[in-house]
Amino acid sequence: MRTQIQRRTYGSAGLLIALLAISAGLALVRPNFLTVANGVNLIRQISINGILAVGVTYVLLTGGVDLSLGSLVALAGVVAAHCAHPGQAPVVTPVLAGVAVGAACGAASGAVVTRGKVAPFVVTLGMMTVARGLALVLSGGRPVSNLSREFTWMGSGDIAGLPYPALILAAVAVASHIVLQKMRLGRYLYAVGGNERAALASGIDAAAIKLFAYTVCGGLAGLAGVVLASRITTGQPNAGVGYELDAIAAAVIGGTSLAGGVGGVGGAILGALLMGVINNGLDLLNVSSYYQQIVKGLIIVGAVLLDRRQGEAS
Amino acid sequence: MRKIAAMGMALALALAGCRQRTATPERKQLRIGVSLLNLSSEFIVMLHQAMERKARELGVELVVNDAQRSAEKQVQQVENFVAQRVDAIILNPCEVDASSPAVDRAIAAGIPIVNVNSETRSAPTAFVGSRDEESARLAMEFIAQRLHGRGNVVMMHGYMGQAAQLKRDQGAREVLAKYPNLKLLAHQSAEWDRAKAIALMENWIQAYPDRIDAVFAQNDEMGMGAVIALEQAKKKDKVVVASVDAIADALQAVKDGRLDATVFQDARGQGEAAVETAVKIIKRQPFQKEVYLPFRLVTKENLSEFLK
Amino acid sequence: MHRAPAIEIRNLSKSFPGVKALDAVSLRVEEGEVHALAGENGAGKSTLMKILAGNHTPDVGEIYLRGKRVQFRHPHDALQSGIAMVHQELQPFPDLTVAENIAIGREKTRGRWGWLDTAAMRQEAQEWLDLLGARMDPGCRMRNLTVAEMQTVEIAKALAHKASVMIMDEPTSAATQREVEALFRIIRDLTRRGVTILYISHRIDEVLQIASTVSVLRDGRLVGSYRARDLDRSRLIAAMVGRELEVRPVAPPAPKGPPVLEVRALGKPGRFRDISFSLRPGEILGLAGLMGAGRTDVAAAIFGLSPADTGEIRVRGRPVRIRSSREAISHGIAMVTEDRRKFGIVPEMPVTQNITLANLRRYCHGPFVDRAREDAAAREQVRKFSIRAPGLDCPAKHLSGGNQQKILMARALLADPSILILDEPTRGIDVGAKAEIYAIIAQLAQQGMAILMVSSEMEEILSLSHRILVMCEGSITAELDARRTSQEEILKYAMPV
Repeated sequence: MRTQIQRRTYGSAGLLIALLAISAGLALVRPNFLTVANGVNLIRQISINGILAVGVTYVLLTGGVDLSLGSLVALAGVVAAHCAHPGQAPVVTPVLAGVAVGAACGAASGAVVTRGKVAPFVVTLGMMTVARGLALVLSGGRPVSNLSREFTWMGSGDIAGLPYPALILAAVAVASHIVLQKMRLGRYLYAVGGNERAALASGIDAAAIKLFAYTVCGGLAGLAGVVLASRITTGQPNAGVGYELDAIAAAVIGGTSLAGGVGGVGGAILGALLMGVINNGLDLLNVSSYYQQIVKGLIIVGAVLLDRRQGEAS
Repeated sequence: MRKIAAMGMALALALAGCRQRTATPERKQLRIGVSLLNLSSEFIVMLHQAMERKARELGVELVVNDAQRSAEKQVQQVENFVAQRVDAIILNPCEVDASSPAVDRAIAAGIPIVNVNSETRSAPTAFVGSRDEESARLAMEFIAQRLHGRGNVVMMHGYMGQAAQLKRDQGAREVLAKYPNLKLLAHQSAEWDRAKAIALMENWIQAYPDRIDAVFAQNDEMGMGAVIALEQAKKKDKVVVASVDAIADALQAVKDGRLDATVFQDARGQGEAAVETAVKIIKRQPFQKEVYLPFRLVTKENLSEFLK
Repeated sequence: MHRAPAIEIRNLSKSFPGVKALDAVSLRVEEGEVHALAGENGAGKSTLMKILAGNHTPDVGEIYLRGKRVQFRHPHDALQSGIAMVHQELQPFPDLTVAENIAIGREKTRGRWGWLDTAAMRQEAQEWLDLLGARMDPGCRMRNLTVAEMQTVEIAKALAHKASVMIMDEPTSAATQREVEALFRIIRDLTRRGVTILYISHRIDEVLQIASTVSVLRDGRLVGSYRARDLDRSRLIAAMVGRELEVRPVAPPAPKGPPVLEVRALGKPGRFRDISFSLRPGEILGLAGLMGAGRTDVAAAIFGLSPADTGEIRVRGRPVRIRSSREAISHGIAMVTEDRRKFGIVPEMPVTQNITLANLRRYCHGPFVDRAREDAAAREQVRKFSIRAPGLDCPAKHLSGGNQQKILMARALLADPSILILDEPTRGIDVGAKAEIYAIIAQLAQQGMAILMVSSEMEEILSLSHRILVMCEGSITAELDARRTSQEEILKYAMPV
């Protein structure tokens, strides 16, 4: 029994096996998949989706969803870029600004979900378009460029060979794991998602918990937006389209349930890794863009089927 | 329930009628309806600004709609223009086939329609634009010259199936065919997106270590992505990168020696010519059915011309 | 004449992760009899019946239906073969009406295109409901019914399938006396028509009353099949539990001190009105009445789940406003709700975490949970309530209904309340656990806890309570002294005029 819960929280063995199998297959066909350089590329490439996947896990655990992530990424990127011109302000400022914008939007979504009792799907869909519009307004429709070296270093630099974005992802993942698994707040998140009425009857302020989840998710989306802007060296109002779906896919593949109450950070990272490996592999194999979509979809569904089937059996 | 629906409909009709009535002004100022592909693209924004300037200069009113990359929306917008009896329509098409019904409607209603920047299958009253194949040819020729006719090239596509992607692909391959020792090592779509281009380039560097001599990206966003990835891998000095659009970022990069070449698409020229042509048609003056503005290669040498 | 038994089960075994639910069970059910299945919680009764109804497949063993071997992969297969089951854990379609639920899977259509014949379905539903003596509108949506009403509809649905074998899993757990009698009438009627009934129940007296054969399961094994007339209470209990057990609830000591809870003129339009009573420390106040009388609504109002619109509540003499469970808990009120699935258990959470949920703050260092202390506290509760689970980290959804109820009791008591509200505390709990819970309730009262207990089990309410309030159609019709009243008197006040 312990295994079952741990599976969904830390990421299941089945998924790990699928990941290793695909990696092994790739390594055979393309030996340079296994190089350190490619590995570094890989973790750098999944960092942004990874941060988003961890963020959306909070919301998914409460039984909600957040479709606005991609737009928040763009908005945060634009806001950060506006304060990141050379000589403008210390690097902390654009980073905090981006995260704050994301958190504010998340809180707004959360407030409407809890107070207005509107379905999260609808609320965050609305936020998706509003945030995108804000990004366009703030940027005048064109990318905000001319960013300082200190700022762009975040997206391209590394510490001891490990890319900065990956380190940020690691920090986010570890912190989130602690919150979800070791803190009372995290426990309440699982309770609210598992059975909201039971949580209420146990004296838990479900509304506050949900608000917290949406705010954190938004804040992390803001962080992802800052990292992205740093990596592509511009604040792009068009960035991040479709990112929310990739993030939710990564979390769900990793074992987080859309119904709420089940899942965790480990699974989100595993899911993001799986998707990253597939993307990376398909590029290395020079598979045509048309087929990439099909192959990606099939592999993802296949991996999840295998994982769930194994879960039933054990 | 039915009463509410009936009242709602009556209200809507009344409002619509109101708008129609205020649409007929006392003074006859020309009104041109404009449907743009996607106002969140920098190029289109420049196109739009040029149109507005020209319109102010000529004293005509522009009603501008953003089709947000949806051909379906575009057709609706044009239908609205037709219903409002604008004097002319300027169409910046989303897709060759799917946007054609818009042209058909306008022609059927007797309202002149000018396509700008991209084509549709249905023939408009006039076309103002540039030949996308030409942009790719210019960039590819530049690459061919730089590599002295021999080497490995990789190509980054835009959204597969879009008119610009198809044309630029065509132009690039024409040039490649001329140089037997120039090989297309790999090609993949990065969907006009800088972040996707970075990832793609990183993966290509892994897949073909030290074998890539040049990169042709079908737009500057992707070109910049390739540059960033190459710089990060410390391989930029060995690879030539050329792309299309000449957005501000790219021009700066050419100036800094990071991007080797870009191709200037005269957004301003296209926008102004489109408005001029439309006005000429309305005033029954002679006009050119097809106005082609040339692309121009931008390198460090002639950069100063393009920097505003 | 030697007729093949309606059902013969040979050597059936079934395991779930970590637990062996059935171990080589063999039994025979004769055609047209009422065959009861008795046993403690977790003995395997529900599992055995679910296999018969096609919900689970056995690991080992065979099932014979009238002499022919059958293998069900799906409840549908079982239904086709004439076996219908009314489950303990109800699963109606909440947004469909009663008539639609009854007709599900067999909808009547009209004409060539298959238009739904709602009138015919409604009429059919009405017939079944009348047969069962249920007063309910076939057009009502399922989600608006109480647990007991839903159960009645489920029975109607099974009947409508014209099953030749009907399995009833705790069909009377939420029913009042009148409904039980109605059900028994129907069961006798059905057996006269040749339907075979399999009847799972914890209620010993009912089992002895209605069944002709009783099979007892213990720990997944068959203890024995007995003729009902050869059995009496104590023998049956002994077989179930493996030891002699006294199940009479104990009489608690007298209450003392000023009232800890006072309710004045509490009202909620459409649910209850003018409810006034007081509760003293150490007192057990029983709340009796028919289904739909409003007892759960009153309890829910005091606990903040659905606050009252008018009236006043005083805790320890001070007027309080209770708008949420959080506020109720902060005033020292705890509640174990009636519908444990909806309001109680967080299904995916492990047992320990479910137990500590209402009181987590106590086991924390600042914002961090002290797992060690939490586990210790939970372990203690598990021991106290004899909660049976494959492991303490097991998700609560895997536990049997009775054990889940114990978790909820443990959770409520962990918050150290001074006022405890119990809504049907022993519903779906087996004999052994019932005794334990009665003992605990009595002990709590002795230690000074004020207890408000909603119950439909007459014996329980008569023996445990000091006073009994009877509710009928939303208002209190009588306040009785438990020592001096009787079932008949309670029923008298519970019936609408």
